[in-house]
Amino acid sequence: MEGNVVSDLVWQLAVRIFPSGGKSAENGGHGPQKRLGDPTVHRAHEYAMRIIGSRISPSLANDEAAVAEAIKRQLVQENRSADALSFADLHRRLSSFSGPGSIESRWALLYLLRAIVEDQKRERTGTRGTAISFTSTFSGGLKRCVSGAAAHGGLPSLPTNSMHPKLPSYSPEHDVSSGRSYSSRNGTSQSQSLSHSVRAQLPSSPGGVLILTKDDGNAKSAAMREYLEIIQSESDVSEMAIVRDVLYACQGIDGRYVKYNEDADGYMIDESIRVPKSTRTLVRRLCEVGWLYLRVKNHISESLENGPLEAIGTVGQAFCAALQEELADFYRLMAVLESQVHHPIPLMVGADSGNSVGNYLSLRRLVVWLGEPLVRMRLMAVLVDDCKTLRGGAMAGAIHMHAQHGDSLVRTFLRRLLRQVSSPLFEMVRRWVLEGEIDDYYAEFFVSAQSVKAEALWREGYQLQTAMLPSFIPEPLAQRILRTGKSINFLRVCCSDQGWAQAASEAVAAAGASASGGILGYGEIEVLEALVAEAAGRIDKHLIQIMYKRYRFPEHCLAIKRYLLLGQGDFIQCLMDLVGPELAQPANTLSSFKLSGTLESSVRASNAQYDDGDVLDRLRVRMMPHNDGDRGWDVFSLEYNAREPLTTLFTEVVMGKYLKVFNFLWRLKRVEHALCATWQTMKPNCMIARLWSNKEGGGQSQLTIVLRRCQTLRNEMNHFVTNLQYYIMFEVLEYSWSNFLEEMEEAHDLDELIAAHDKYLGSILEKALLGERSQLLCKTLFSLFDLILRFRGLADRLYENAREVQTRGDPSSRSRVKSDTLSKPRPGQRKLSTTQLSGDFLGTLGEEMHGVAVEYSSLLEGFIAQLPVQQHVDLKFLSFRLDFSEFYTRQHMSTSTPPIRLHRTPTKVQKPSIGTDPA
Amino acid sequence: MDGVAMRRARESLDIVHMMSNLLGTGLDRQTLAVLIALCEHGVNPEALAAVVKELRREAPPAAKKSSH
Repeated sequence: MEGNVVSDLVWQLAVRIFPSGGKSAENGGHGPQKRLGDPTVHRAHEYAMRIIGSRISPSLANDEAAVAEAIKRQLVQENRSADALSFADLHRRLSSFSGPGSIESRWALLYLLRAIVEDQKRERTGTRGTAISFTSTFSGGLKRCVSGAAAHGGLPSLPTNSMHPKLPSYSPEHDVSSGRSYSSRNGTSQSQSLSHSVRAQLPSSPGGVLILTKDDGNAKSAAMREYLEIIQSESDVSEMAIVRDVLYACQGIDGRYVKYNEDADGYMIDESIRVPKSTRTLVRRLCEVGWLYLRVKNHISESLENGPLEAIGTVGQAFCAALQEELADFYRLMAVLESQVHHPIPLMVGADSGNSVGNYLSLRRLVVWLGEPLVRMRLMAVLVDDCKTLRGGAMAGAIHMHAQHGDSLVRTFLRRLLRQVSSPLFEMVRRWVLEGEIDDYYAEFFVSAQSVKAEALWREGYQLQTAMLPSFIPEPLAQRILRTGKSINFLRVCCSDQGWAQAASEAVAAAGASASGGILGYGEIEVLEALVAEAAGRIDKHLIQIMYKRYRFPEHCLAIKRYLLLGQGDFIQCLMDLVGPELAQPANTLSSFKLSGTLESSVRASNAQYDDGDVLDRLRVRMMPHNDGDRGWDVFSLEYNAREPLTTLFTEVVMGKYLKVFNFLWRLKRVEHALCATWQTMKPNCMIARLWSNKEGGGQSQLTIVLRRCQTLRNEMNHFVTNLQYYIMFEVLEYSWSNFLEEMEEAHDLDELIAAHDKYLGSILEKALLGERSQLLCKTLFSLFDLILRFRGLADRLYENAREVQTRGDPSSRSRVKSDTLSKPRPGQRKLSTTQLSGDFLGTLGEEMHGVAVEYSSLLEGFIAQLPVQQHVDLKFLSFRLDFSEFYTRQHMSTSTPPIRLHRTPTKVQKPSIGTDPA
Repeated sequence: MDGVAMRRARESLDIVHMMSNLLGTGLDRQTLAVLIALCEHGVNPEALAAVVKELRREAPPAAKKSSH
């Protein structure tokens, strides 16, 4: 119905406009009767209907006021302000009408009027060029379209394809073009009017700005087209195909043109295909990505699928996983690029000629796109190459060295990788430090365990494998880590202690609170350090406490000092008194059982009985393996039985050292003991005094001389031995002990304790001339001791004889010469003449004594001379003590002097003729 | 149509005619009336303007033709 009314109206319109036809129509009344004489009218009618039918919906928003404004503005512009005012007035009046009979579609009307006026103007002025006709051109098929377009724009329109999806880009140009008038119109109107038309032909000119490039007659564009044609003719293959092949190559797949070339070890275009050289090199460059990709992929598949797990370990697995993630990113990029190849996005420069340059993805653009992935792929391939043979911590360390790179892109990439790679390692560290367990099936951790006996657990049970230590964990930190885990294990195994668990949990809490809450991982070394510091501190403290309190390490050390190092003087004296006579027997007749009995009795007899029972328990007698001819003195020693876990500190080696020191001290003590005993016999008592006073008349009797010599020699030896003992006792033992005590107070962990103890023992050995450097001195010393003991024997014999003589000749022989009375009563022997015997006896004795004296002095000289040469500072003190008056050095230096005795001028000399020189 | 409506319609037409003359479209009253009617029926004014233009273009030659 509507359509009929419209049709009628249009017919009327046509009639009106065509005056000739109209007249007849008018005369004939309204109605759709067709007269023969109005073919034009019919045609016009059809034409009009078609136009109207093609644009049913209005394309503009119904903005009546805007249109009115526009009209007014137009009028003003034409300097018809009065007209504008009147128009405004009219419009207002029109608007005021409402209800039946009034015009509803005012906007449409105004628009219509305006449009007609515009058209008229345009027709009148006949403008060409810039502006598109207000109503645009019509679809092809209308007779007038071309001429209409020509009449309007004068520009031929290029044939367009109906599916041209370039519409959104047209709006800005249209805005440019329609700047002359109708500024109120927005671009959408044009685009809408374009879109819903059936026209296949779009207005050719996109705007005044871009006309030149579309001009066929323009030389530049023509040249461009020629160039493109030449390019195309040069290559057999279109660029799009090459691009697609390159994308395949980047994923390791051979394309149709781009294949893997074994000789050149890379992807390149087949030789047989004709492409320009530049394309070939470009393709070669781009396909490096593919080559690198293949390497990485091979490594991953080898490690994960083919090889056994032991070959790469957990760290290697983590590495492969990280690589796969990166490759996933790469795949994403590839997917995007591939979609680009197939659906090119159009450009603003109307590349609608089907030219491959117009495709979005060209080789050049591919170069730009693949730039960053190339860098990353290269990095990954380098890492893969480096880490082929590495495992565990070493692999992490190698990757870390690569991460020391100036380029921040590389750094971030490698950091990400390293985080994943080192996470198994950090987990292992955490477990080790907090629980003492090693979770390491593939030997990747830098702490390795060996199963050893309990006492060797500390020293040898766990080792640091520097090969597996990653370079981002510094060595001191690694040592601490090792020690912490070792302590936990030590506590667990040797001390059967469970308190460390609490210490560990406290450490975790403290570390979590103090650190910045960072997760344990690569790049967060501070977190690791904090955790290790806390754990180490607490566990070490716990361990030391256990050692000191539960196992009473200081007490045992003190006990060793007292017994093995002869610190408990009264006990040692007692022991020596009791044991002495027995030890003179040959070694194989002694039984340790009996000696232990002696030990017990001496313990009970001295202050040692008040010592701790546990300590005394451990003190035992030990008989060393003996050879033939050894006396008891050589094989006797004491030992201290330390049980676990103190055996970690008092190992066999350590106890051996203690034994050595004990032997030395025991010998020294024995010599001192001997001299003391000699002194006892030499004590000035009335007998001896009588001996002295029996010299009547003349010179000194031989006996007196010998006796005197004996005395002085003994004194000298005593001086030496006393000073030596004093030196050993105070300068060596006590000094080292006090140092050790100090260090024990400050020791924070077992390692430090062991070191302190070793130092203590070592210094004792050094200073007591038992070290390697003092071998010679030691030998001299021992020979001195032997000499002293020999002297003791001699002196005893001498004094025994003297006494015997005295007792024999006591009542009657006062007047007799002493020498007569000296005779050694030998059982079962003839009584020789007393004078003869005594003279001989004294002579031999005197000679022996003299020999001893000479030897002694020479040895002592040698000893003292060597002392200053020693490295140890304290030995100089010894030499000072021994030679405080520089007596020996003076003797030593004066070479021309006969043996010493001549110059020995003790101040107590009463007989000036002492210095006679016996034979 | 009742009287009021008719009056109003006539007045509207007058106003529109005056406007049209002001703008110089060259349309007479009857044509305008037809056009108004067409607009009232919802026809696209653009299309209408195009029709008018085309018909006008064809009209003078036709008139010339018919006159000869």
